[in-house]
Amino acid sequence: MESTHRVRRRIAGAVCAVALVLPLTACDALTPGSAAAVPGPRSVPSSTAVPDDDITLRLQFADAPPMVDALIAAFEKDHPGISVEPQYKTFTDYVQNLKLTMTSDSAPDIAQYAVGMTDLAADGHILDLAPYREAYGWDESIPPVSLDQLTAGQNSEATGGRALFGVPAGLSMTGIYYNKELAERAGIDGPPRTLAEFEDQLAAAKEAGLTPLGVGGLDTGGLHLWAALLNQTMPTDDYWDWVNGTKGATLENKAGTTASELVVEWGRKGYYNESANGTAQLDSTAQFTKGDSVFLVNGNWAAGQLATAMGDNVGFFPMPGERADDPTVASGFSVAYAVSSRTEHPEAAGAFLDFLTSPEAGQIISDNGFLPPNPEAVAKPKGVLADVAEGHRRAVADDGITTFPDFAAPAMLDRLRSGVQKLIADRIEPADYLDSLQDEWEEHHAE
Amino acid sequence: MRSRPPVRPPGAPRRSPWRGYVYVLPAFAVYFAFAVLPALHTAYLSLFEWDGVTLGEWVGLGNYQEILQDAVLRRSVFNALVLVVFFSFVPIVLGLAMTGLLARYRRPGMGAYRFLFMLPQVVPLVAVGVTWRWLYGDDGLVNQTFRAVGLDGVTRAWLGDFGAALIAVGLVGTWVLSGLCMMLFLSGVQKVDPSLYEAARIDGAGPVREFVSVTLPHLRGELAVAMTVTTVAALASFDIVYVTTNGGPGEQTTVPGLLVYRLAFSEGKVGLAAALAVVLGCLILGIVYLINRLSRSET
Repeated sequence: MESTHRVRRRIAGAVCAVALVLPLTACDALTPGSAAAVPGPRSVPSSTAVPDDDITLRLQFADAPPMVDALIAAFEKDHPGISVEPQYKTFTDYVQNLKLTMTSDSAPDIAQYAVGMTDLAADGHILDLAPYREAYGWDESIPPVSLDQLTAGQNSEATGGRALFGVPAGLSMTGIYYNKELAERAGIDGPPRTLAEFEDQLAAAKEAGLTPLGVGGLDTGGLHLWAALLNQTMPTDDYWDWVNGTKGATLENKAGTTASELVVEWGRKGYYNESANGTAQLDSTAQFTKGDSVFLVNGNWAAGQLATAMGDNVGFFPMPGERADDPTVASGFSVAYAVSSRTEHPEAAGAFLDFLTSPEAGQIISDNGFLPPNPEAVAKPKGVLADVAEGHRRAVADDGITTFPDFAAPAMLDRLRSGVQKLIADRIEPADYLDSLQDEWEEHHAE
Repeated sequence: MRSRPPVRPPGAPRRSPWRGYVYVLPAFAVYFAFAVLPALHTAYLSLFEWDGVTLGEWVGLGNYQEILQDAVLRRSVFNALVLVVFFSFVPIVLGLAMTGLLARYRRPGMGAYRFLFMLPQVVPLVAVGVTWRWLYGDDGLVNQTFRAVGLDGVTRAWLGDFGAALIAVGLVGTWVLSGLCMMLFLSGVQKVDPSLYEAARIDGAGPVREFVSVTLPHLRGELAVAMTVTTVAALASFDIVYVTTNGGPGEQTTVPGLLVYRLAFSEGKVGLAAALAVVLGCLILGIVYLINRLSRSET
């Protein structure tokens, strides 16, 4: 009995020793993450021929399920051999898991483009579609500026030109809505042609005892306002360089300062709704429909709701430039789709993406409240929706659709949101605000 | 090890000191696999710079150094400590006051009171947050009330105001946790021997004296539990803040829990998030230890 006891003790001792040593020796194996190379090619083939076999494509997405369902139904009718299996995730869920999903072996064939895609593109997890851009002639059916938003700042190895990592289905842009009745009461006779004229209108609204500008600063309304102003003060190319992380790009210059100072100044003059920082975008939109402010900062995604609630009483214009002949520049993005490098059916995926550029798809996109990539192909919208379409047409014609500033780095959204809140409340110097953004930018683009 | 009992019944097997552990093993294995191991893993991850996908890079204590240097992270810890006042001290004081009022005599309808005060505990915190966001809104009930009594100057969007946001969020916590504290104290009071109250009354003690001399000393254990639970709720707060202000305006209501979530899931800084979680965990353990020490040494 004594001996078994000793044996037991010895075993226990050995187990302990192994347990202690294991982590030390296994350190390399325990390093989190994997450096495994991406299988397969990095770009799509240049042929657009689709094989005849039965193919199932898995499509993972986060925006506009009714639109996606309608698009899939129409596509499957055109391509009986290919079926598309939609996998819907809520937006937050989708963005959070995007990197894991797209780097796993079970990655979907097609996935909605989102902030993390830039890094995935750099590591080769999504396919460069540039060969299809030429083969399918997408430049004819989609505004090239919308495709150029999807280059992830890279050049294509296959074509030598700009890379392409997604194809847009619906486009978006931000701007200013105005309440026509209230505007008239303040003596405002139409959309302003310059930024200075817009400031005069804000002052006139204030003078008339109205709240000039509704901002939903609790979430993203403030950053849309700031970005809209920055789009007017900063040359578009410089802005793109900054968002794409081009070496040497910066916001700490006159353009950035002017835009930030305007946000502060308008706050000091009492142009915003009193509780801009405590109001979410959705709430600011609801307040605007009730006539709480003359103007509202928001995007085209609110147009449908505003048209329903206010009818002919609402109009839209993109933020005007500093001079009347300045190009129309506005931030916007698209509901776009990328193709996984792990897909076995790049040709079928290409056929689906090409379908998105067709007039039939354009009508479906337009019916679901987005701006179709090819506006000539769809029925002409009315009312405020027509204003939005016209604003977008002008911005596209001027090559003036820029992406949202938070695409510059994953943490930028939080910096922007809290920073603009401070600008609105006059709690930070514009220089310090820009410095905090630039710090984040440099940290992310240092690698 | 203690000395063994000198006599054992003949034939009975000698008890091995390991046997007890065998009985505990299943529970311990589950606890180890689902609580201890993840915690150790988090601590391990905190030594890497890792985006959650690609190969991590060993940085040792670099992440901890960054926490100490980052103004936003430090601010978040400060905010959490302010929340302790609203999540812990105020509810305990309120809970004690309500206990003092309710415990002295049995009144009809006690069950209904208890139900009402317990209600905030039953509602999911996310629903609580959304509801309070409306209450605090521009045209919300809070502002309506102020306007109704003529205090128009006080009204504001509470959650968007740099001065008021943290207090507004804190008061949501007060609302949620006061009922819990009261419930704990009420159940504690029921253990008190009624003859003690009788004796106190015979000695001419008033309600206040009775509360201080009889009720309060008997509630020491419940106080410790209440303090522990509410302090942890304050320091580890996430849901209420996430739903009401998302840390804004500026960084006025940013708390460590929110930053852990953001760093890990939207900013791809898993190592830094893990380091912050470890610091937060140690802070909580330290404070809980302190509370337990204090409540024990007084007995």
